[in-house]
Amino acid sequence: MKRIFENLRPTHKAGVLVGILGFIATFAGSPYQGSQFTIDAQELARVVEATTDHVNPEELADWIIQGKTDFRLIDLRTAQEYGEYHIPGAENTGLTALPDAGLQKTEKIVLYSEGGIHSAQAWFLLKAKGYLAVYMLFGGLGGWKDEVLFPALADNPTPAQTVRFGRMKEVSKFFGGAPRTGASGPAQTPSYTLPKVEIPQSVEASSARAPKKKKEGC
Amino acid sequence: MNAPFYKFGLFGDNVSLIVAFFIGIGFGFFLERAGFGSARKLTAQFYFTDLTVFKVMFTAIITAMLGLFYLSWMGLVDLSLVYLTPTYLLPQVAGGIILGVGFVVGGYCPGTSCVAVSTGKLDGVVYLLGVIAGIVVFGELFPLLGDFYTATPMGQITLPKLLNVPYGLVVFLVSLLAVGGFAGATWVEKKMASRKGEQPL
Repeated sequence: MKRIFENLRPTHKAGVLVGILGFIATFAGSPYQGSQFTIDAQELARVVEATTDHVNPEELADWIIQGKTDFRLIDLRTAQEYGEYHIPGAENTGLTALPDAGLQKTEKIVLYSEGGIHSAQAWFLLKAKGYLAVYMLFGGLGGWKDEVLFPALADNPTPAQTVRFGRMKEVSKFFGGAPRTGASGPAQTPSYTLPKVEIPQSVEASSARAPKKKKEGC
Repeated sequence: MNAPFYKFGLFGDNVSLIVAFFIGIGFGFFLERAGFGSARKLTAQFYFTDLTVFKVMFTAIITAMLGLFYLSWMGLVDLSLVYLTPTYLLPQVAGGIILGVGFVVGGYCPGTSCVAVSTGKLDGVVYLLGVIAGIVVFGELFPLLGDFYTATPMGQITLPKLLNVPYGLVVFLVSLLAVGGFAGATWVEKKMASRKGEQPL
């Protein structure tokens, strides 16, 4: 048997190999068996610790300005909140509707909610379902407002901070925000932990609605 | 082609283009070395005198099929992550016929015409200009063709799902088809070569 195989020409050998592999495949069952996903808790913990599961508001702003389309931005808040303001290009999907939102497992997905809790929960949900490239917006929409829409300069800025603020001022204008200047800046900054239902929220929301119109104008 | 690294965000658009450039150069190089930069070689398959193209394509299909099947079966590749091009039956049949007719008439397919251009073949240049003109015409006519373009959608369908047979059986049948196709192609080539020999030149 072995000698017969050895005497064959290379093409015939390949042909025999293909025949054998094909025949075995008939009884091998579904190849999708290998697709079952198991959560590696250790691996997930490492990802969380290294904060590679985050996208900074600044990064996201750059992506949107550059017109990148290789990611899906998911707004996890209610439809009403989404209607009031959302980051340009975001899709509104509730937490329960997330598995049926038509997301691909290989897509780069960026999640955000008001703070960080909902998006963190959604992140784990998707990770557990085998979605590979899921990210959270660092600080949620609050972080987006603080860093992108209404950036502020620290009280005693270092030169690097001043340069960054100069850049962020432009970014902020792109999204229709307004940079805060002066020492009073940080004091106005709403903390992530505070529920954002007070007056500053509505003021921010109304002024933040501007970029949407601006985009439609373009 | 740059998956999975590009998809997982390990590198961005710019690096992806550089990677694509090198993969493209490599692909073109091997096409040229295999003789696929010659319209004579490519059109010979339609006269059944040289079925190299058929054999190369079938080898690629079989290698990829068996490789993916067994790697996935061993749990090394997750097949549910592999992107499947959605099927639109009628427009894709029409597109296939147009490409086929162009292949027979022009002697190249789009990729091999680029290879022919790189070695300075004039017919390759003319073909490539035709390809670009075709793209422009298609783009301009798209508002009229748009409805047909998305007609008869069947989704991301596979043969096992369509025929409702086990996945492995389809793998076996395609393997048989390949072995049979190879044997048949070699037989036809010999037959055509001997007939050519009989004819006075």
